[in-house]
Amino acid sequence: MAEGLCAEQVRLPATQGLILDPVLVVQAVVSGLLFGGVYSLMAIGLTLIFGVMRVVNFAHGDLMVWAMYLAWLGATRFGVDPYVGFVGAAAILFVAGFVIQRQLVDRIVDAPHEMQILLMLGVALVLENTALVAFGPEPQRVRTPLTQAAVWLGPVFVDVGRLVTFLVAIALTAALWLFLYRSDLGRQMRAVADNGYGAHVIGTDVRHVSAVAFAVGAACVGAAGALVAPLLPFQPPTGLQLSVTSFNIVIIGGMGSVLGAFVGGLIVSVAESLGAVFLNPSMKELVSFALLVVILLVRPAGIFGRRAI
Amino acid sequence: MLLALPLVLSSYLVTVFVLIFFYAYLGQAWNIVGGYAGQLSAGHAAFVGVGAYTAAVLSLSAGLTPWVGMFVGGALAAVLGAFIGFLGFRFGLRGFYFVLLTVAFAEMCRIVANNVEAIGGAVGLYITFTGNPRQFQFQDTRAYYYIALGLMIAATAVAAAIERRRFGVYLSAIREDEGAAEAVGVPTFRYKMLAMIVSSFLTGVGGTFYAFYLFSLQPNTVFGIPLSVEIIIRPIVGGAGTLFGPVVGSFILSPLAELTRLYFAAGGGWAGVHLIVYGVLLVVVVLFFPQGAVPWMKRALGRTRA
Amino acid sequence: MHRRTLLKTTVMGAAVAGFPLPLRAQPKTIKIAAIHTVTGALAEPGQACRMAAQIAVDHVNGSGGIKSMGGAKLELMLGDTQTKPDVARTEAERLINAGAQILMGTFNSGDTAAIVPVAQQRRVPFLVDISAADPITANVARAVKEGQQKVQYVYRNFPTGSLFGQRAVQYFTEIFKEAGVSPRRVVLMHCNDLFGTNQAKGFQAAHKAANPPWDIVEVISWPEPPSDLSTEVSRAKAAKPDIIAPITRPASALLLLPELRKQRVEAMGIVGPGSPGLYEAGQLTALKDDLEYVMTSVPWPNFKHPQAQRLAEEYLRRSGGKMLDTNSGYSYDGIHVIADVLERAKSTDPDAVVDAIQKTSFKDNLMISTGPVVFNEIGDNPNAAPAMIQILKHKPVAVWPKDYALSKFVFPRPKA
Repeated sequence: MAEGLCAEQVRLPATQGLILDPVLVVQAVVSGLLFGGVYSLMAIGLTLIFGVMRVVNFAHGDLMVWAMYLAWLGATRFGVDPYVGFVGAAAILFVAGFVIQRQLVDRIVDAPHEMQILLMLGVALVLENTALVAFGPEPQRVRTPLTQAAVWLGPVFVDVGRLVTFLVAIALTAALWLFLYRSDLGRQMRAVADNGYGAHVIGTDVRHVSAVAFAVGAACVGAAGALVAPLLPFQPPTGLQLSVTSFNIVIIGGMGSVLGAFVGGLIVSVAESLGAVFLNPSMKELVSFALLVVILLVRPAGIFGRRAI
Repeated sequence: MLLALPLVLSSYLVTVFVLIFFYAYLGQAWNIVGGYAGQLSAGHAAFVGVGAYTAAVLSLSAGLTPWVGMFVGGALAAVLGAFIGFLGFRFGLRGFYFVLLTVAFAEMCRIVANNVEAIGGAVGLYITFTGNPRQFQFQDTRAYYYIALGLMIAATAVAAAIERRRFGVYLSAIREDEGAAEAVGVPTFRYKMLAMIVSSFLTGVGGTFYAFYLFSLQPNTVFGIPLSVEIIIRPIVGGAGTLFGPVVGSFILSPLAELTRLYFAAGGGWAGVHLIVYGVLLVVVVLFFPQGAVPWMKRALGRTRA
Repeated sequence: MHRRTLLKTTVMGAAVAGFPLPLRAQPKTIKIAAIHTVTGALAEPGQACRMAAQIAVDHVNGSGGIKSMGGAKLELMLGDTQTKPDVARTEAERLINAGAQILMGTFNSGDTAAIVPVAQQRRVPFLVDISAADPITANVARAVKEGQQKVQYVYRNFPTGSLFGQRAVQYFTEIFKEAGVSPRRVVLMHCNDLFGTNQAKGFQAAHKAANPPWDIVEVISWPEPPSDLSTEVSRAKAAKPDIIAPITRPASALLLLPELRKQRVEAMGIVGPGSPGLYEAGQLTALKDDLEYVMTSVPWPNFKHPQAQRLAEEYLRRSGGKMLDTNSGYSYDGIHVIADVLERAKSTDPDAVVDAIQKTSFKDNLMISTGPVVFNEIGDNPNAAPAMIQILKHKPVAVWPKDYALSKFVFPRPKA
């Protein structure tokens, strides 16, 4: 027996044979789809910011965790249900996003890529640790009556809280799509995304539009955080995890595409869910990363991404 | 002067220097592909992990001395680097997409390491402290100081050698404008791959030092994104693509982290404040010294001289 | 050179080089370094340990300090590993350099392992108050046995992973028997991190060795912290469990327990082999009824001991509402063990301290154990034991073994 390795070389069974229980598989797909709504919400804000501004927002997850804490504060101190309070969270993060973009990101728009990443990394560090100082390190969760409920379709169980979030994700995606494709400001944003210089030439106030885009993206993150707070336990370090997952989703779905964020969220979630059925669930994230690598190699623009890189 | 320091410094400061040199080494290794070649990798922890685990497993199960194990670890890390590089460069992934590819691989390594029994799974590996130099362990911390210093110098020498040769010229061409470089006939794919292989090899060797200095390996720590961040922060702050960038960056950041932790961490309720300061400093550096410290210093010195 | 300048230079030189200055006859304070994971992922338990250590030091000093050393007081020096092994090592070096004569810490096995070489190199006794990974002490013991190291400076007053497993299996079997039921199918669900995997391995190994009348029919693990456990719970349900045995962290417990209820996983009980997340005040508030009747086998303060209740109240006050439990309790005991060792060693000389540690037989510990605190040839305390606690009426209470039980257990759990 090898020295130094743990004395008990006990095999942890990876899987008790292939689980071919059809109910389990169906359940996994259903659960995956519903949770996909959560993932989609997380990714929508990110894709907007990258799509319009080409800014890799490494502080994405930490912004979202702040929104979750805001929702938690609202629920515990003021008795505001997160399904109502998310508007407030969105508003606060809108302002925060505007400020971050104007004061920080704007200054390094022309700087090399690494600088952007470092900047947002610094912001992420500040956000994560301010949350730690303000709220402490314990995981929190927001309890609402909805999250306790479950509905049964035969042998398959449907989590009501997630169902509601799924529906909200659809609504938000639709609202954002309408904004981008039917409103003036949205059109301007897409113009800036496509060709910043060109947009500038025809008179668009690129700085202002960029700031608004970042702010809207941040507001989406705010709304997402508040809506997701009842479903996930969160603590300050959760931000990093959320960032990584969101980047996964956004690449798979297509950077800059709101529909891509929605579909990407569903795909990633179902993939992980099935991964949890056929593999040891502790490896389920491997599936989404493998998917990411495949997409990066085969079609880096993502499923709904419009441009090649 | 650096050679004489351990003779006068306390063991604590020697330890601080060990970490400064070590992270400078890792940063310099990264610098070759991330700075000179301009291919930003945020997953270099994967190579640290591969190197560390290889040497540790070989030592624990086959009794292979880490002095040899480190080269095996480095070689395996280089293989992984070649694989990632091949996928990235052959498929034309640039900028942010390449970053994500590297992150994805580091995370996959982490998850696999967390789930493979034979290398300890999530429990990780523990190395017995024997103080036996043949096992790359030393009773006296000062030995680690010299080794870390040696590693840092070696990596810088490699970077200098590259900078001087055609290799370095090609890399800067690739970094500045890859399309133009290709048009002019630079074999971009080959040189990017070379940079990646050298970089990952060196990083893997560093992994062995990590394992035999800290005596335990856990997948989340040694393959984790926070380690990748520590690796890239120093060269970026110091000046990516410059010879002394990683070194200067390490001399700035490590003591800074140490000082801010000491100053703020004494009170339990304020735990985490030092990381806030760290983050604010990062933001300030990015906003006001975007090329990094070394080019700024060069310009400042140039001005005073003129 | 002027004599005073020479003296000053020598003193400065010595200080910088880290040489100890000539000591006075008796130290007035004894410096103990408490290095814990005060920030980072494991900040909460780390902060609990630090607080408890501080209270313990206050108590020791309040009752006269170390009497055999002229009433010398303990001084606590604080270190933070940030839950990173390289920082842990640096902190140990820093504090030793600042005069720490004994180390205690860290809660996280990875950080603890990084400090072991420093303790061995600098010959500073290191009492591990909390860390379950077996190799931490076993490796040092083996190195000493094989002659690679002269003296073992690292000792641990906490159950090891294997001990956790053995006791858990034992308690499971005893409780089932006492309740007069025979559950057969146990589904083990654990978080796939350092702690969870270590516990799971220990539990399974102990099960194999003891061969009780119940089986572990499925093992399901998840990456910690998880965002979603619905499929894991579906799998557990499909395995038709009589008992769900969870090993969680606080974050996963927040997801797991409601999910078990929502998916209507019917089991005789939820009985954990030992993990956090199932009894802390914050968890109780967040999970409320979902935690009722849940049992877990964890190190626990012996609330039958008169001092324990008083300590719990003081801890509640000074920590701003936190409960005395596993981590704070062991750190508190850790300081008292150190104080006892110092009383018997009558000096801070490392070898005298080590000698005193090895002869320890400390009966005044507040944590539940199967005997006094002693250290075996590996450096562990074989009497450190967990106890089965159960959440009854939203409060955790020891229910097994009978000697320490404050209440009778409720098993099988009543149908909802």
